[in-house]
Amino acid sequence: MEESIRNISLPMTKEVACGLKLGEMVTVSGLLFTGRSRFHIRAIENDLYPPIDYEKINCFFHVGPVMRQEADGEWKVVSCEPTSSIRFERYGADVVRKFHLHTLIGKTTMGPATAQALKEVGGVYLSKIGLSGNALKGQVKKVHEVHFLEELGKTECTWIYEVDHFGPFFVAMDAYGNNYFEDLAKEAQSRMPEIEKSLGIPPGYDYTEVNA
Amino acid sequence: MIRRETITEAMYNAIRLGATKMPPDIRKALQKALSEETDPMAVKHLEVSLRNADLSEKGNGLVCADTGFPMYFIHAGAAAQVEGGFGVLKSCAEEATARATEECFLRPTMVHPVTRKNPGNNVGPGMPKVEIFFDREGDGLEILAAPKGGGSEIFGTFYRMMFPADGEAGIKKFVIECIKDACYAGKVCPPAIIGVGIGGTADLCMSMAKKAALLRPVGVHHSDPEAARLEKELYEACRKLGIGPMGSRGINAVLAVNVDVAVTHTAALPVAVNAQCMVGRRWIARIDGKGNIDYTGEMR
Ligand code: SF4
Repeated sequence: MEESIRNISLPMTKEVACGLKLGEMVTVSGLLFTGRSRFHIRAIENDLYPPIDYEKINCFFHVGPVMRQEADGEWKVVSCEPTSSIRFERYGADVVRKFHLHTLIGKTTMGPATAQALKEVGGVYLSKIGLSGNALKGQVKKVHEVHFLEELGKTECTWIYEVDHFGPFFVAMDAYGNNYFEDLAKEAQSRMPEIEKSLGIPPGYDYTEVNA
Repeated sequence: MIRRETITEAMYNAIRLGATKMPPDIRKALQKALSEETDPMAVKHLEVSLRNADLSEKGNGLVCADTGFPMYFIHAGAAAQVEGGFGVLKSCAEEATARATEECFLRPTMVHPVTRKNPGNNVGPGMPKVEIFFDREGDGLEILAAPKGGGSEIFGTFYRMMFPADGEAGIKKFVIECIKDACYAGKVCPPAIIGVGIGGTADLCMSMAKKAALLRPVGVHHSDPEAARLEKELYEACRKLGIGPMGSRGINAVLAVNVDVAVTHTAALPVAVNAQCMVGRRWIARIDGKGNIDYTGEMR
């Protein structure tokens, strides 16, 4: 079953990104960089970011991995579970534009501003499938570099991974501004009146308001 | 007399096992959820997660890389004696947490809230969290270690002070809306275990919600029939949201809704919600009065 999932070479081209459908499952192979809150804040507020070639290493993996340094000095991934990307929404769009990112990988989804930026550059957001940190770590073939380790620590710093058939993930935001979870949320919202009724909540019920 | 070393050892192993094993009741509940889901994405989310737990049990990986907030809940027997006095439990928890972090069973995740400085060992003011309950009998210690997930804590914590006139309808509306929001895009890693605190003061209310989410086996209802009734009604309502594992289309947004209640001010109706993520991490070390340690994923 796994074999039928499409594998995409990194860096992902705009053309490939634009061909991906919402909800499609994919794996990726090639180079990616990691980061989370501190990467976003520093890149935008302080113009401070790892000196890497963002054209070649263009996939931003939202993660704070558990890393261990072996006796020979080499770094090994103990576990790498994608982290919640929605937290970075304040800076997401600016980061996508600044580094011209065609691939984001994370947990959950991102908001409308990032969707707009992805549409402009021709990029997609890939969301994790289940908890998969242990499978993912086996798909990291090599840890190439690490940036800002001293300053930010192992969780927040930027690692460069070489990955092979990394995933699977699913396309949660396509290159046209659509979001997989938005439709779903609308469906859930539309069920609320019925659910409230079944719980005995009167129609139009509201909490007591004590402020002007 | 239970020796300090024994306690540190028990805490270290409990948090290590908590980070690397899935408790049996959680696994069973996830398997049942898997048998109910039909949407391919919902099925895949659960299959992948269960396989991830298998991998971690076999290879000492982690059930989830975000090992979250280190928490220890301790039941002390009435006649339990601790070398150095009960105050050492805090130091033992710090040593156990630092060691588990050093050995990569816990991710160094705890930082100063303002400077964001990371001490690198998950130890700092207030953390690890240690809470002690005193039992009426026994002479041992039961230590439950829970690496409490980040996503479930960050996106799954809600509190509202309502008023008596808001009534049961208010409680239910608040809880179901919280669950819908918490599960959006899989933020709390559903199927979640939802703890609900009703009554008490603000802090007691939230503390009840947290303990209801963390410290009860899946499928066990409250002994208070009113609380149990709310649990069942809210659980059934959640299954109609159309939200499944990791926020996909499905049935199992939650594995359980656990309610706890405390008496409160006659003018108040505080309600708190706290979510536990699908991995439901917790492991127990039981130390008897002679200092023998036993580890288990089964709750009493
Ligand atoms: S919320 Fe999800 S990612 Fe975070 S600790 Fe829990 S299972 Fe892991």
